[in-house]
Amino acid sequence: MANSRTPVLEAERGSEKQESHEPVAGRRSLVSKPSRSDSVFRNVSYGAGMATVGIMLAVGIFLTLRATDALGVAGFSFLTEQEWSPETQKFGIAAVLFGTITIAIIALCVSVPLSLGAALLISEIVTPKVKTALITLVDLMAAVPSVIFGLWGVFYLQANVIPVSQWISTNFGWIPIFRVTNAAGELATEASAFTSSAFIAGIVVGLMVVPTQTSVMREAFSQTPMGEREGALALGSTRWGMIQTVVLPFGKGGIIGGVMLGLGRALGETIAVYMIISPIFVINWELLKTGTNSVSSLIALRYGESSQFGLSALMAAGLVLFLITLAINFTASSIVARSRSGAESG
Amino acid sequence: MSSPRSFSLIPRGRRLVSLTLGVFLAGAMAFSGATAAQAETYDPITGTGSTWSQNALDQWRKNVASNYGMTVNYSGTGSSAGRRDYIAGTVDYAVSEIPFQANPEDGSPPEVPPRGYAYMPIVAGGTSLMYNLKIGGQQVSNLRLSGDTIAKIFKGTITNWNDAAIAADNPGLAMPDKGITPVVRSDGSGSTAQFTLWMSKQYPSIWTTGMTSQYPTLPNFKYQSGSSGVAGYVSQNYGEGAITYVEYSYAMQAGFPVVKVLNAAGYYVEPTSNSVAVALLKAQIAPDLTQILDGVYNNADPRTYPMSSYSYMIIPTAVGGVFTTGKGKTLSTFAKYMLCEGQQQASDLGYSPLPMNLVIAGFAQVARIPGTVVPAFDPTSCNNPTFKPGEDPNNNLLAQTAAQPAECDKKGPNQCTTGTGGAAGTETAVSGSGNGGSASGGSGSGTGGGTSGSSSAAGGAVDEYGNPVSGGTSGGGAVSASPFTLAQDSWGAPQNIMLAAGLFVVLAAIVPPFVAPQMQRVLGKKKP
Repeated sequence: MANSRTPVLEAERGSEKQESHEPVAGRRSLVSKPSRSDSVFRNVSYGAGMATVGIMLAVGIFLTLRATDALGVAGFSFLTEQEWSPETQKFGIAAVLFGTITIAIIALCVSVPLSLGAALLISEIVTPKVKTALITLVDLMAAVPSVIFGLWGVFYLQANVIPVSQWISTNFGWIPIFRVTNAAGELATEASAFTSSAFIAGIVVGLMVVPTQTSVMREAFSQTPMGEREGALALGSTRWGMIQTVVLPFGKGGIIGGVMLGLGRALGETIAVYMIISPIFVINWELLKTGTNSVSSLIALRYGESSQFGLSALMAAGLVLFLITLAINFTASSIVARSRSGAESG
Repeated sequence: MSSPRSFSLIPRGRRLVSLTLGVFLAGAMAFSGATAAQAETYDPITGTGSTWSQNALDQWRKNVASNYGMTVNYSGTGSSAGRRDYIAGTVDYAVSEIPFQANPEDGSPPEVPPRGYAYMPIVAGGTSLMYNLKIGGQQVSNLRLSGDTIAKIFKGTITNWNDAAIAADNPGLAMPDKGITPVVRSDGSGSTAQFTLWMSKQYPSIWTTGMTSQYPTLPNFKYQSGSSGVAGYVSQNYGEGAITYVEYSYAMQAGFPVVKVLNAAGYYVEPTSNSVAVALLKAQIAPDLTQILDGVYNNADPRTYPMSSYSYMIIPTAVGGVFTTGKGKTLSTFAKYMLCEGQQQASDLGYSPLPMNLVIAGFAQVARIPGTVVPAFDPTSCNNPTFKPGEDPNNNLLAQTAAQPAECDKKGPNQCTTGTGGAAGTETAVSGSGNGGSASGGSGSGTGGGTSGSSSAAGGAVDEYGNPVSGGTSGGGAVSASPFTLAQDSWGAPQNIMLAAGLFVVLAAIVPPFVAPQMQRVLGKKKP
C-alpha cells in the first residue's frame, strides 16, 4: 500500500512545483523516478521475498533428488507398505504417516478448546492490565523449547496420564479406538500397556501448539469492529450472546487459520515426540496403547546410523511430510484470506 | 588481524560500536596470546561419529584444551555418519563401533575411504543390563542371568520372569509371574551395536540378525531414545518388569540394580569397570585392525564380565582430505593423551579404562599417523590406571589386584543376596529354594559410594583401581587410596553466579508484563 502511494505523492508534489512555474501541455506523467532509498528498499524486499521462495524450492528439489534412489526401489508401495526396513528393501510410510496424523489429531483435540477459550478470555473478558500480562505469558509459553516439553512429558506427564488412559479404556473400551488389548486379544490392564502411546505424545504436542493457535485467534478476535459489538450489546445481548453472534463469526477465519497452523506444527513436531513414543511399524488403531510413530521422529532417530540407501529412504519420508505440510499451510492461508477478519488484516 | 588504522576509518557516529568492537578484539587477542604463549602450537582437528563415546571425548578435549591449548572438535552424529564424513574427507578422524562396511546389505555402495586409515582403541565399556523387578513388593537387586537366557529375552522368546531358564539362574529367588518388558534403543547407537555383536557372536542360533546399531523391530518391545530414555523408562513405576541394556553409570545414577552375567568360568559377575578391563585383557586385533572379541566373551578368568567391548577411533595413515601433517601432530598428541592419562577418567565417565594390551595396540597405530610426534610405547610415561610405570603385559597391576568374585556368585545352589549397581545397598531376601550368601569383597559391592564427588559413577567400582583389595575383605577403607577420587563438589563462586543467572532469567521473564503497565501509567502522568 505505502509503496504504491509514494510515487503518487511525489508526482503530485512535482506537478505543484511545475504548475507554479509554467503550465505544461498535454497529460502529465504519473510515473516518477523512485528515489535512491526507495529503489534500495524495493530491491532488498524483492531479494528477501525471492530468497524465501527460492529456499523453499531448493529444499523440495533437494529432498526429491535425494529420495529418488529409494522411491525408485519402493515405487508406489512406499505409500502402502507399513514396515520400515531399507536393509531388506522393504519399506514404506503407511504406518509412520498414520502415527503422525493420529498424534496431530489428538494434539488438536487437546489444543483447540484450550486455545479458543484462552483467546476469547484474553480478547473479550479480562481487564487491559491482566490482558498484557496474559499475552506475555502465552508468548512465553511459545518460547519454551520443545525438548523441555518432551522431558516433562516423559518424566512427569506419562506416569500421571497412565491412570487416565486405564480409566478411559475400561469404561469406553467398547469404542474400538479406546480399546487396549494385549497380545492375546484380551483387555490389557497393566501399566506398561499404556506407556509411550499416541495419546500421551498427542497431549504433549497439543500443549506445545496452544500458544501459536491462541495468538492467531486472539489477533482475529481483537479486530472485531467495535460498532458491531456495541450494536449487539445495545440490542440487549449478553456478553456470551455478543461473542456468539459477532466475535466468533467475524473471527472464523482466524480460528481456522490458527487450527491449521497448529496442525502444521503438530505434524512436524520432532523432539518431544521422539522422546515419548516407542516407534512401531504397524498401523495401531488403539490410540491409548503403547507404540506409535511419526515421520519427523523417524528421521531424527535413524539418520545418524543410516547407510546411503537408508538415508535416501528417510529423505523420501521427509519429502512426503514436506508436501503434506505445504498443502495444509496453503489451504490454511487461502481460508484465512477469504474470511472477513483475514481479508481486513491482509 | 585488525590493524590499528581500522579504528580511524570508522565514522564518528559509530564510535560506540567501534569501542565495543575494540574491547572484543582486545579480549580475543589477549586470549589467543595466552594460549599461544605456551610452548607448543597445535592445529585444530575435527571429527564426528559415535554418540556412545561422546561423553569421554568431550571430557578429554576439554582437558587437552586447558592443558595443551589444543583445539579438538567433535560432534556425536552417529557412527555411520562419522564413517561417511571420513570417506568424504571432511573430518580428520572419526569414532565408530562398527568398521567400514565392505558389503552393505541394502545395496548401498561399499564404504571405501579414499585415504589410508587405521583403527585405534579409545575407550572400553561393558553392556550392563538394568532391570526393575519386584518380588512381593520388594525390589530385587541380585538377579543373575546366563548368556543364552539374555539373548532369548532380547529376542523375545522368553517373555515371563517365571521362565524356567531364569529360575535356574536364580536359586535364591522365587521368580514372579510377571511379563518381561525388554526396553531397547529406538535411535541408532553404539550400545545396541555392542550388545547385538555379543549376541550374534555367542548365540548365532538365537540372534540371527547380526550386529546392528539399529535394534530390529520386535513385537512387545519398548523403544526409547537415548541412554537416559531407556534408563528412565525402567526406573519409573510403570517400568516394573522391564529390563534394558545401558551404560553402567546410568543404572548407578537411577539407583537401580544390574544383572550379574554368567562368564566362562562359571561365575555371575557384575559389570564394574574392573571386570570389564580384566575381560579385555584377552581382546585381540585382527590383521585388518578390527576387533576380535571372542577371547573377551569367553575369557576364563573368573573376574571377567563377558559383555565387554571397546570403540575405536578411525585415524588417517595418509595425508588427504582436510588432513595435513600439521594436524597429525595434534592428533597423535591427543591420541597419546587418550590412551594414557585420559583413561584415568574412564570409569568416572561411565566407561572402563583400556587395559595394557589395547593401549600397546593403540600406540602401534598412532605411530602410523603422518606427522606423528609420539614416541613408541613406554609404560613409564603412560599414566594409565590399569598398569603402573615399568610394567610389562605379563606382569600387570590390574591382573594382580582386581578382586575375585565371591563364592556365592558361583553357579550353583547359592546366590549372593548383596545388591548390584545403583542398588548396591539393598539386600534381597532369599525367597527361592537356594541359599543366600554375602558378596563381601566381590565385584564392587558398593563401597565408598559417598566419597567421590562425582554423583554419576560414584559406585564401588570406581574407587577400586590401584587399591590392592584382597579377596575376602570388604573394600570399606580402601577408598582413601584411590588415585583419582575427584574433589568434593562444594558451593563456591561459580555456583553463586549460576544461581544468580538462573534467578535473573526467571525475573526477566516474569517481571516485564507486570511492570510495563505501571511504567506506562507513571510515564503517561509525567508527560500528558
